[in-house]
Amino acid sequence: MQVGLSTQNAPSVWVVAPHYLIGALNFIIASGLMVFHYEDLLGYHLTAPMLSVAHLMILGWVSVVIFGALYQLIPVVMEVKIYSEKLAYATLAVMVAGLFFLIKGFLSFEFKASHAITMGATFIIIAVLMFALNTLKSAAASEKKSISRLYIIASGLYLLLNVSLGLFMVLNMSYHWVSVAHTQFLKAHLVVGLVGWFLMLIIGVAARLMPMFLIVHKLKEDYLKWGFYFLNAGILTIFILVWFPSYPKVLFAVALLLILAGMVLFLMYNYDVFKKRMRKKLDSGMKPTAIALVILAFALLAFIAVYLGDATFGLPAGRLEIVAGILMVYGFFTGIILGQTYKTLPFIIWLFHYQKLVGRQKTPLPGEMFNEKLVKVHTWTFTISVVLFVIGLLFSLKVVVLAAAITMLLTSLIYGINSAKMIFHKKQIIKK
Amino acid sequence: MIQKEFSPEEAKVLEILKQVPDPEVEVNIVDLGLIYLVNIDEKTKTITVDMTLSTPGCPVGDTIIQHVQTVLEINYPGYDVKVNLVWEPQWTPELISEEGRAQLNQ
Repeated sequence: MQVGLSTQNAPSVWVVAPHYLIGALNFIIASGLMVFHYEDLLGYHLTAPMLSVAHLMILGWVSVVIFGALYQLIPVVMEVKIYSEKLAYATLAVMVAGLFFLIKGFLSFEFKASHAITMGATFIIIAVLMFALNTLKSAAASEKKSISRLYIIASGLYLLLNVSLGLFMVLNMSYHWVSVAHTQFLKAHLVVGLVGWFLMLIIGVAARLMPMFLIVHKLKEDYLKWGFYFLNAGILTIFILVWFPSYPKVLFAVALLLILAGMVLFLMYNYDVFKKRMRKKLDSGMKPTAIALVILAFALLAFIAVYLGDATFGLPAGRLEIVAGILMVYGFFTGIILGQTYKTLPFIIWLFHYQKLVGRQKTPLPGEMFNEKLVKVHTWTFTISVVLFVIGLLFSLKVVVLAAAITMLLTSLIYGINSAKMIFHKKQIIKK
Repeated sequence: MIQKEFSPEEAKVLEILKQVPDPEVEVNIVDLGLIYLVNIDEKTKTITVDMTLSTPGCPVGDTIIQHVQTVLEINYPGYDVKVNLVWEPQWTPELISEEGRAQLNQ
């Protein structure tokens, strides 16, 4: 092994690929459920199908794919092997079991600490603990001190905090340990989950990968450093405030502003990357990523609107929260995964099939292992779907929301086909 | 050290190495500026190549190095091929050739 070379730290393809497959399947199931229950978005939305969709999307799709992607990216970002591949397999199995029980519980309309929900939540907490252990142990072994590593460590800790809060919320509904409305805890659950876990992880990984993919040097890392302080301050303030039945509203507003400032700084960092990039033409993986970043800017506006209140805009109560949630989960997180899948998955599959053949035989390149036309199609359907969701929700147009749900289902199916094409790739030798 | 001048024989090696692409950006490693030095020692029948990677965490780094090794062994039978991975000086995008820049945006 050459000194300083970290490529031999790459995990087995069998650790990474199943995450993408299971993630895609959950995305398809969630999108299918949405098509049949889209009307819940326009009315009372804390319904069994919507809770199922939200948890399938956040845990089954975004989290599962992120788990898999991170096992592949930790060696790239931190220049270290993942702590344990066996633990990674076990984590996925426990996570899938947890999701099964959780969704079973939701679909049986059990909004209390029922057997299925408690079991599901417990399994998910165990899976998250296992994942956090794997990530944090890997990070501890890394000698590479970088802002990326800091963001990833923080996101792992927030993930732990958030699933613990989720379980506490379920138990508190039955045992009433703390007399605070569950909707108040829900605010912290959403902020810690969406910003602390997902966004901070994405920032951590993007800080390393975006300059690598677009070929840029000399970036303004201060944006990320200040963003780190602002985001942490905002998230922790909100997490502490919700434990008090009445708290100064101004503090909550300040915390939201800090989070918004952190998000703006991340967008400014990306603007810097895109402005200075040497690779001007965006490939099929970078296009959905760029669209996702634009959606994040709109999500940011939606969160400001949420704070101003639905009534300010003449909208029914809770509507703007749904719009912001859709922009964040269906828009930003899904868009990032739709794009970055093509920058990560083909490489580990390609290495598995062709590593020993390069130079001896003519082999396909990683970029030739998926159908580029399908990527173009699902980039369009994805963008159209997000736009339709926003229009349909803001103007209460049922048929438009239905069209949005159908186009998202189509997106998930096309993405699923392309992922399967990569994962089940058969070795090809091109004749010279 | 980055070699500036190449003898005709060394230039031939560079030409051969243009067959090796970086699988991510799909541009050959010579135009990406990853080859720092080429030396052919006819007495010891040794070809030495010093090369770098665009980033230490490059997920396909050792595959690229293996590709360089194989392609030279095939083209120079009887020679001992040594590929050294170096990190100094650090690679920067300024090392990409005009040809490489054009290929990046094709």
